Amino acid sequence: MSQPVLKIDGLQTYFRTDDGLVKAVDDISLQIKKGTTLGVVGESGSGKSVTALSIMRLLAASAEIVSGQIAFLGQDLVATSENNMRRIRGGDISMIFQEPMTSLNPVFTVGQQVMEAILLHQKTSKRVAREKTIELFREVGIPEPETRINSYPHQLSGGQKQRVMIAMSLSCNPQLLIADEPTTALDVTIQAQILEILCQLRDARGMAILFITHDLGVIAEIADQVAVMYRGKIVEYGEVLDIYENPSHPYTKGLLACRPRLESKYRFLPTVDDFMETKEQENGQFEIVEKQVDESRLEHFRSAGRGRRLHPLADLEALGYPWDPSTHDDDTEVVDKGTDPILEVKDLKVHFPIHAGVLRRVAGHVKAVDGVSFKIFPGQTLGLVGESGCGKTTAGRAILRLLNPTSGQIVYRGQDITHYSPAEMRPLRRQMQIIFQDPYGSLNPRMTIASAITEPMRVQGIGSSRSDRRDRAVQLLEEVDLSSDYLRRYPHEFSGGQRQRICIARALAAQPEFVVCDESVSALDVSVQAQVLNLLKDLQEKRGLTYIFISHDLSVVKFMSDMMAVMNAGKFVEFGPAELIYEDPQEEYTRRLIEATPRDDLDSLRARVAQRRELLSAG
Amino acid sequence: MNVDESAIPSRGFWAEAWQRFRGKWIPMAALMVVVGLAVVALLAPAIAGTKPIVCKYKGRLYFPALAYWNRGLENPVFFVDRFHKRYPENLTQKDPDSWAVYPLVFQDPYRRVRDGEREGQAGNRVGAAPSLRNWFGTDHSGVDVFAQMVHGTSIALMVGFVSMGIAAAIGITIGACAGYFGGWIDILLSRFIELVMCIPTLVLILALLAILETPTIWHLMAIIGCTSWTGIARLTRGEFLRLKQLEYVVAARALGVGNVAIMFRHVLRNALAPILVPITFGIAAAILVESGLSFLGFGAPPPNPSWGTLLNAGRSNMESWWLILFPGFAIFLTVLSYNLIGEGIQAATDPRLRQSQH
Repeated sequence: MSQPVLKIDGLQTYFRTDDGLVKAVDDISLQIKKGTTLGVVGESGSGKSVTALSIMRLLAASAEIVSGQIAFLGQDLVATSENNMRRIRGGDISMIFQEPMTSLNPVFTVGQQVMEAILLHQKTSKRVAREKTIELFREVGIPEPETRINSYPHQLSGGQKQRVMIAMSLSCNPQLLIADEPTTALDVTIQAQILEILCQLRDARGMAILFITHDLGVIAEIADQVAVMYRGKIVEYGEVLDIYENPSHPYTKGLLACRPRLESKYRFLPTVDDFMETKEQENGQFEIVEKQVDESRLEHFRSAGRGRRLHPLADLEALGYPWDPSTHDDDTEVVDKGTDPILEVKDLKVHFPIHAGVLRRVAGHVKAVDGVSFKIFPGQTLGLVGESGCGKTTAGRAILRLLNPTSGQIVYRGQDITHYSPAEMRPLRRQMQIIFQDPYGSLNPRMTIASAITEPMRVQGIGSSRSDRRDRAVQLLEEVDLSSDYLRRYPHEFSGGQRQRICIARALAAQPEFVVCDESVSALDVSVQAQVLNLLKDLQEKRGLTYIFISHDLSVVKFMSDMMAVMNAGKFVEFGPAELIYEDPQEEYTRRLIEATPRDDLDSLRARVAQRRELLSAG
Repeated sequence: MNVDESAIPSRGFWAEAWQRFRGKWIPMAALMVVVGLAVVALLAPAIAGTKPIVCKYKGRLYFPALAYWNRGLENPVFFVDRFHKRYPENLTQKDPDSWAVYPLVFQDPYRRVRDGEREGQAGNRVGAAPSLRNWFGTDHSGVDVFAQMVHGTSIALMVGFVSMGIAAAIGITIGACAGYFGGWIDILLSRFIELVMCIPTLVLILALLAILETPTIWHLMAIIGCTSWTGIARLTRGEFLRLKQLEYVVAARALGVGNVAIMFRHVLRNALAPILVPITFGIAAAILVESGLSFLGFGAPPPNPSWGTLLNAGRSNMESWWLILFPGFAIFLTVLSYNLIGEGIQAATDPRLRQSQH
């Protein structure tokens, strides 16, 4: 075959910071052929985005390409002039980013922005550029492109904005498209559509794609070759099927194992740490030591902990899932008859008024939560799954009375708390806690870890003295697997996973029995996500906690929950035992969600790779 | 992470901000200027004056220079013995065994030094240009300009700090309430802020000075403080509106923390850095207002030396350039320094700048 579109040889990109030299990309080599997709996968900070920015020469001022070659169709991009680079950027190589919300300028129509990109690189009239824009919009699947080009970014949905970004990047027929986590901010159903469009465009135009993601599931859907990056180095590089069938590097093995799969039977997730250990050496280098994972360890992941705990028989029957032992695993239990639910929600509605006009009259309502009813029994996990805007977060916050419900009833341990005043709620705050999504936003940057964890104790009158509370904080940190040395530090020194553990410790400090986990693992890397999920399961068992687990990720919710509710447009679409809903979805919406979840099982991967081979050999 | 390293407590936000601030020479130089001015203001009686810093008189030690801070601190013995503020000749005449240590510059900010007051130093001429005897010249009644400026420093600094202290207290409280509680409280307080913004400070001060029987510098500071808090309030409100939506504030509510504790422990601590910036700019503005008032002749009442009053004197004697140049330059330098410090704080605490380092 002809020369590769992109060939990187021994690329090293270093950052100069106050704390010394950071080797963000450390001697990597890879290549992409025409019409294929190279998936680069790694956790945050592994250097995958820096690689992309090095290719585009868009690095921050503190970064520098120290050595190596980036050959684009034989031309060395490291050595070429800035002027030449400007022609290549957006022309021969273009890039799409993670955040479609901020990548578009809000004061111009999307049509203007795409036209500008065309006019910048091609000598055409405005009329031709406009026609070309409409054509591109049609190509990326934007409905009614003639009217849509006059829309402003805020008038489009997230998926449509990402399509506009793709249209813009395609405007000059690039040979290479760099996609930096283009679907991470999108819902699964939209993600599936975007991936499909990227595949179609690649095949129709013979484009090469460098696809960067942290999600191995997405890789399985789109990539031909995979490069696994870890701490600035490529630890494994090869054909996608080889890597999935026979991962050789322990990190790849760990990454593959730690994803909660829809069909997996694990109760606890293996983590990367089960497969390897990273030893830091004196000179700043690190060494990876592989650990052997034997069958007994894997068996432990399957058998440790409790089985699923379903609603009492009568409730199951009422939900339309009468008890049938053959459809459940042997260890599935049901809550005893006569047990009182810890929380019962009846016809909960949360509507937000929309104000309009000069007098700010109420013109209508956003029905964020529109008539939701359910029960949770002590020790259960109820999963709430749905796409963004379906009302799952609003529901979670309304239950904790962080928002005022419009109507309906929230009964906690027999008390109707729907209309409790803040003062009446305060003692209950001790029992009901919440863990948020964003580990960066949910810790006060000016408070040390110690004061963050002891504050709830102080407020709720737990602990007899300052030193007693401090001792309890130490215990809590140890419970979430953090060192007690961290107490006097500030949040900015911690990674996302560590912060989330601190948030968990803070929530536990109030000694709650009921915890709402609001997208608590969504912002974390898969490897860290597995650790936090394990921790949450572990804590549930040790402390007898009851969870409402909210997530947009069906596989995570299914892994965590006993009972699962699928939410759409403020209503429960489906509610029942998590296993059964996944195995036999009754509703079209649920089915779509399940189908859109990336498939990374070997069978579907083999099928896709076989299809690709046929296509590539034919072309 | 290494174990030994993790045991060290991390430096707080302010410690890091200070380190970044210290790393830039322009705001540091400005800070040095302000610190220097504060030192000058504190040590003014020791720098320029006609009263001894310390003297031994009839067997006892006295510190007459303290009288420049507060008249009551001057020991009555000197009144009884009829010194008439002329220490050098009286001390030697009335007690031959006495000794005294005089300020660096033997010049008085309130009166002209006359001939023969001190041995080896001739009296001030009226309206003299700068010379070795009168470094910054003298004004139309022969009072030394340097001494006036040294003693005027404290007023310039006090005006800045006291009026901005008042403004910050009012502005932060009102802004915090408006931003945190929102709704009707916000609407009412915001309209109130806008109302106060519409009042021209200078006109209000002139009106009040006309009403007051004996206006003092403190009235001035209070009025400046009570009218210049609007910018601080609006910024505080904005910061509170932004910060109260963050998850750690919601988390604190979910933990049952009370409103006041959330406002001060969680929100205000994070809002303080950006609020500090308009406060420093406000100090500079207050100094300018005070100088402006003094320049117009409505400033600190006559006996008090003030930079603006000197400028006013210079206005009627345009050929006495030293009456304009030196105080004008002092005002310029002080205002510039505060503005540079404000910018330095902004640069040292701005989260966007911090992120780009990682």
